[in-house]
Amino acid sequence: MAESYRAEDFEPLHVDQATQTLSRPSLSYWQDAWVRLKANRRALFSLYIVLALLAFTLFGPMLWTVDPASQDLDQVSQPPWADRSATLVAPYEPWQGEPAEPGSGLHAAQTPNTQAVRLVWEPMGNAEGGYRIYRNVFAIGPEKAYGLPLGEQFDAALTYFEDRLDLKSASYYYTVVPLNRYGDELEGAVTREIAVRNAITISHAEKRGLLTEGHTAQVGDSITLAAHPLGTDYLGRDMLARLMYGARVSLFIGIVAPFLYVILGVAWGATAGFLGGRMDGLMMRFADFVVALPFLLFMILFKIMFGIGPGESGIMPMLIAMVILSWPATSRLVRGQILQIREEGYIGASRLLGAKTNYLVLRHMIPNTMGVILVTLTFAVPSAIFTEAFLSFIGMGVAPPTPSWGSMCNEGIKTMLTTPHELIFPAVFISITVLAFNLLGDGLRDALDARMRSRE
Amino acid sequence: MPEVATDEPGFAKSAGKQLLTFAAIAVLGLGALMFVLDALASLVGSDSGSSSAIEPELNMVTIAFEDEPPQLDSTQRADQISGRVLGHVMEGLLAYDEHSQLIPGVAERWEIDALDATFWLRKDARWSDGEPVTAHDFVFAWRKAADPAEASEYAFMMHYLKNGEAVSNGDMPLDALGVQALDDHTLKVELARPTAFFDKLVAFQTFYPIREDFFRSTNGRYSADAHELLYNGRFKITSWVHGASMMMVKNEHYWNRDAVKLDAIKVGYITQDTHARFNFFKDGKIAYTGLGAEQLSSAMENNFHIRRFQDGSLFYLEFNHQPHRVTRSWHLRRAMQLVTDSGELVNRVIKLPGYLAGKSLFPVYLPGVKETFRREYGEPLQELDRVRALEHLELAKKELGVKEIPTITMLIGDTPISKTQAEYFQAVYKETLGLDVKIDAQIFKQRLEKMTNKDFDIVMAGWGPDYNDPLTFGDLFASWNRNNHGDWKNDEYDALVDIAQNSMDQTERMEAFARMQQILYDEVVLLPHYERGQSYVTHPQLKGLVRRVVGADPDLRYARIEADAS
Repeated sequence: MAESYRAEDFEPLHVDQATQTLSRPSLSYWQDAWVRLKANRRALFSLYIVLALLAFTLFGPMLWTVDPASQDLDQVSQPPWADRSATLVAPYEPWQGEPAEPGSGLHAAQTPNTQAVRLVWEPMGNAEGGYRIYRNVFAIGPEKAYGLPLGEQFDAALTYFEDRLDLKSASYYYTVVPLNRYGDELEGAVTREIAVRNAITISHAEKRGLLTEGHTAQVGDSITLAAHPLGTDYLGRDMLARLMYGARVSLFIGIVAPFLYVILGVAWGATAGFLGGRMDGLMMRFADFVVALPFLLFMILFKIMFGIGPGESGIMPMLIAMVILSWPATSRLVRGQILQIREEGYIGASRLLGAKTNYLVLRHMIPNTMGVILVTLTFAVPSAIFTEAFLSFIGMGVAPPTPSWGSMCNEGIKTMLTTPHELIFPAVFISITVLAFNLLGDGLRDALDARMRSRE
Repeated sequence: MPEVATDEPGFAKSAGKQLLTFAAIAVLGLGALMFVLDALASLVGSDSGSSSAIEPELNMVTIAFEDEPPQLDSTQRADQISGRVLGHVMEGLLAYDEHSQLIPGVAERWEIDALDATFWLRKDARWSDGEPVTAHDFVFAWRKAADPAEASEYAFMMHYLKNGEAVSNGDMPLDALGVQALDDHTLKVELARPTAFFDKLVAFQTFYPIREDFFRSTNGRYSADAHELLYNGRFKITSWVHGASMMMVKNEHYWNRDAVKLDAIKVGYITQDTHARFNFFKDGKIAYTGLGAEQLSSAMENNFHIRRFQDGSLFYLEFNHQPHRVTRSWHLRRAMQLVTDSGELVNRVIKLPGYLAGKSLFPVYLPGVKETFRREYGEPLQELDRVRALEHLELAKKELGVKEIPTITMLIGDTPISKTQAEYFQAVYKETLGLDVKIDAQIFKQRLEKMTNKDFDIVMAGWGPDYNDPLTFGDLFASWNRNNHGDWKNDEYDALVDIAQNSMDQTERMEAFARMQQILYDEVVLLPHYERGQSYVTHPQLKGLVRRVVGADPDLRYARIEADAS
């Protein structure tokens, strides 16, 4: 064969830049996931809500420095929009009554305010056995339903009554009914509408920090009661402060418990899946056994086992019970995933090329199960928050005065019809948090799915 | 950063549409289902729920009970529901009328001296099978109550009788009990010690009669069912469906049958749910129901006639005086007393009409010499003084030899009211005195057990009267009383209880009670919180319903149906 080679033939081939350009920058797994998460507006918005909640809990109490346990009994069960203007009055003194002037009928002896309404009336001829005093928030109709029976004076000569029962800034209809000597009601009831104004004693105003030291405020001055942006609960405690502190408990349980039990589940499931065979069967049957254990019962048992006395917080046993009893779901998922990945072609190839177990696990198994793990975690968070709320709701969780969203709901539900804000606010917070974590989990699942990678 | 194409807006739109469709279908479906179920329920329920609260033609009233009566054997125990039923169907030697005055029952007249009492029984008193009620029926029942083999919770009621304590402890035979029938209509009682209120005692259900031959004929199933009870009261039980309903009709053999105005009382429903009972009342199915805090505003809106009633129970904070408890320190107790405002508790925290601020161990209704005890002798003046409280707190720390008072355990029941109350006091003692209080909430039985074991520093306790005399409260803090859970002992107090138990002179007794009241206040043995009240509503046509502190409550024995005024 006569061939002639030239020297140029042996020069290195010129690298042609045009054939190997990357049209886009190279993206790692996480960068890619982040890009896809950002594209999911619903998930992104949920992420912001979660961050806002964390800020609300961690930094909120620094901005809103109200003690969640302090009771403002001048403003009990006040909705956020309640009228806060009040008049300063002298300290409460017991009152021994005074006679009504002739012709004056039923009226308030002194300016009626929320500290006390002091009623006097003229003696009624037929009242042998005294009088019964009623109060209504509605005008008295033809049914003659006088409202709440406040009390009795079992003596016809005692024509006065002092009402201090849960007075609000409102109009009340007071009725005095004469009684016969057995205490049965007679005809001749007298009704009077009396408008009651907010009032606070000077000593209470000082105690609540409404008046600074060395003030010159006097009885009769106007004052604005302490602000409660979200109202107060049944003991006059600030709802906003309680929600902030309650979030601590809820989010602590909601984030720490899933984190711990997901780690446990991953370790258990990965080991089982990796070892395979008899060991796998044994470990998974144990997981099945744990699934069958009743959660509530164990919660109570742990409480006793750890010597958590009455009146102490049940948060630690709750955490431990959740960690011990909730891991099998994660471990099953991870085991399934690992079993599947183990048989994949690229694992076999990698092994043929001499990859060690370490490399296999770190380079292939973990990244490929990470999506599942993270998604389980984000779905576990709302369910843990919900469990905490449920347990606190039935009284198994925090000890008073520590609030948690669940225990606040429990307290609020008793007065659901009269002061709904005590139930609505914690319930809304639970709902928003649970929804945000669920939507975020949804978004993460889409973003982290390795098979969706670079599908654009 | 590369552009990432996404079909999100379109997806969200279609998803939103789907969601809306599903939500609409779900809401409509649920609504339709409710409608169908409601229609079905009205078809099924038409026969069982037909009777309305008031049936003027049948002269019948329908009411609801909170619970099934657990025990209708009058000698066994005295819970409220059983007491209510027994009060309607049985009658003792004496009874209470509609104004809670003592009136003759089976006994026509009686004489009570220092150490013996005689009751002459009316000849026309009959059992519901027509047989006469005799003195032997009382002797049999009282011996049965004291019998150690019966282990009655109310055996102590027989301790007022001669040899009563020995008999109930099994040290003496049953016939040694100080009661005997001189003839069929004369009952002779010997007392262990002078008992000024023995006439009030025999109106209590433990002293009701039981006929021996009938009791034997039931073979140990006495009072287990409607036909296994014999009645001598105004009504008799004709049907008793356990856990569901009960029918009481007028007893035609009752001696004073013309005074009984109602022909029948139907217990149509048995449910513990206050709200369900209130709904029955709203629907006109029952003629009476108690109101919880949640129903008050609804009752006002519906223009119901709300009544209130003091049920006689006192609730208070009791201290543990045992030597290893911090609450043994008088200065600590005094400090707590000086910041405890029962008026604020009742008006601002409990907020229910009918509750009275607690001021004394003796509630307002207890009788004195002529009027009520509290009107005659008053009550200790309640002081509130934070500055002095803090001084006492410092002295308490010195007395106890500690720098800071350790955490105090407060034992409470698990009702919503006591929890609210406990949280209130927890904050009060923390804010005013800096005391840390730990709340130990327990169910009723567990709380009683912990109280008996003296496992508390302070406990929120309550006490209801067994008879209408201050002694039912006064002897609680006698050093020998097992209900003195804090182990408080005071010789002068014990001597006063002794006077109150043995003296026949009412003025001397009431003065002893007044002194006891003052000692309890000075020594800070308890902090009274409130006297419990109840609110309830009745059907406007139902008249004469009586609420009682002692005895059957609510009491329909004297009730009548009034013609509709409108």
